[in-house]
Amino acid sequence: MSEINYTKFVKTEKLPGVWCDGCFVPALLMQSAVVFDQLKFKNSDTAVVSGIGCTGRIAGYFNLDSVHSIHGRAASVAEGIKTQNPKMNVVVISGDGDLLSIGGNHLLHTSRRNPDITVICYNNEIYGLTGGQTSPETRKGNITLTSPQGSKFNRLNAQKIVSSNDKYFYGRTAIFNLDHFKKVLSEALKHKGFSFIEVMGFCYETDGRRRGYKKPLEMIEEMKKSYSVTEEQGELKDNELGINKN
Amino acid sequence: MKELIQGNQAIYLGAKKAGISFYAGYPITPASEIMHEFAKSDVKFIQAEDEIASINLCIGASLGGGKVMTATSGPGFSLMQESIGYAHMAEVPMVIVDVQRVGPSTGMPTIGAQQDVMQTRYGSHGDYFPIVFYPNSVEECFKLTIDAFNAAERTMSPVVILSDAYIAHLFETFDVESVEVDVINRERKPLGELSGQHFTGLLHESDGTLKTMDSDFYNKWIVEKKNNVDKVANDYDFYDYFENENSDTLLIGFGVVSRVLNSLKDKYAIFRPIRMFPVVEELKSIAEKYKKVVVVEMNSGQYKSVVSGVLGKEVEGVSIFGDVSKEVILNKL
Repeated sequence: MSEINYTKFVKTEKLPGVWCDGCFVPALLMQSAVVFDQLKFKNSDTAVVSGIGCTGRIAGYFNLDSVHSIHGRAASVAEGIKTQNPKMNVVVISGDGDLLSIGGNHLLHTSRRNPDITVICYNNEIYGLTGGQTSPETRKGNITLTSPQGSKFNRLNAQKIVSSNDKYFYGRTAIFNLDHFKKVLSEALKHKGFSFIEVMGFCYETDGRRRGYKKPLEMIEEMKKSYSVTEEQGELKDNELGINKN
Repeated sequence: MKELIQGNQAIYLGAKKAGISFYAGYPITPASEIMHEFAKSDVKFIQAEDEIASINLCIGASLGGGKVMTATSGPGFSLMQESIGYAHMAEVPMVIVDVQRVGPSTGMPTIGAQQDVMQTRYGSHGDYFPIVFYPNSVEECFKLTIDAFNAAERTMSPVVILSDAYIAHLFETFDVESVEVDVINRERKPLGELSGQHFTGLLHESDGTLKTMDSDFYNKWIVEKKNNVDKVANDYDFYDYFENENSDTLLIGFGVVSRVLNSLKDKYAIFRPIRMFPVVEELKSIAEKYKKVVVVEMNSGQYKSVVSGVLGKEVEGVSIFGDVSKEVILNKL
């Protein structure tokens, strides 16, 4: 494992930040910063764009010029930056509600236009900042504030959307496996064209508690059991972490 | 050399003259000719999936250091409203063109109207102070587009150009080279050169530090914001005024309507606001000279209510639709 150096890309003076105890968005912040450093990005040639939500607050903690855009439109803002400044590394980091629900239309079309940007979707299966409502990634049957009898719908399949294009990069990784996260993010950032990675995560405060977990660690342990890493090419199964690209 | 140019095309030419580097838009009648021009040009161009993406692509490109513009009509302008508020809050300069047609909703897409006047002023949630210009000739479409880009740079905010289907599709001759307007360039550096600047729609200090729980800060900030816009707007206090000592009535009209009002200047005094917002200060002293003030507009009294507020008295309004002629206006006066 390479040396962990996140200080170059994180405004450490602003930590611990706005997130709840037991939240893993700060891990996403730190580990993304480590990958930027490993890839020898410069603070002056990298921009992070986020939308709205718990994950959407991440942009302001990066030690580089960043944009906290409105709800759902981060990919459009990022494509605008990239078009104006083709040499810049432009990275979107936001949540599943922001990118896949209100921002879903932009995922369809930004991926189709294939600009050389990377989108990191932290998928915690819930609207956290607003207290725990159903997101497009909430599992069928899960109880939330807006699905008191259990969510009735299947989850949105981001892999199928992204891979419907001729050229695509879809990665799925998880916040409990940081080495894998860094590997997948690194590949995504090196990919020429639109790359989308889903980071499977969780929210203890607004989802886990309601569902009967006693502490965040219990959610991590369960996630560890349900996902496995694959090196196989091609479409990832629902429980697989890996890269599907063409 | 004089050339035959269309209103929408003149807006494109003005944007080119002002140094535009990026355009994003979505097709909509009666604004589409503007994007057709950009599609053919060397300006970076994206046909977006909708108007929300259009304006957010512009926000990104503007923060990236570019001069940017998008053009639309009422329905698209409605979709852009949340992002317009963001651009005011996050200080993102851009030009937005709204070529008006009859609404609400899909309304009468090919028929010109002036029903978005209040949407330019109050369309987004929260308080903000937009500069809005409204040309009434093809040459003015060109000139005011350059002024709009300049005012956007000076206020670091979106500036709106209102047009209507009639002005948009009007052909007139003018010499592009003969119009003299200075071009103001961006002072702020682009993303990447700002040493960790954070742009956000949350209330913040100039360095990006959040102030989301500080009402005192807000109270100072909102006054400064308004003063800043007013100060810049003062340099663009454009209006036309035809005095008429023999008349006790001042007619107020803008856009295509003002062209028709001009034919009545022997009978009435005529005032045309070119800067629609903030309302030009001179209107007060001019209106004082007349017993009766009548706002003639292609809506149900939007600018009439603005003028009434500014003058502190209820003024009269004439609403016209479809047949924008001297006879119809005279008949209603």
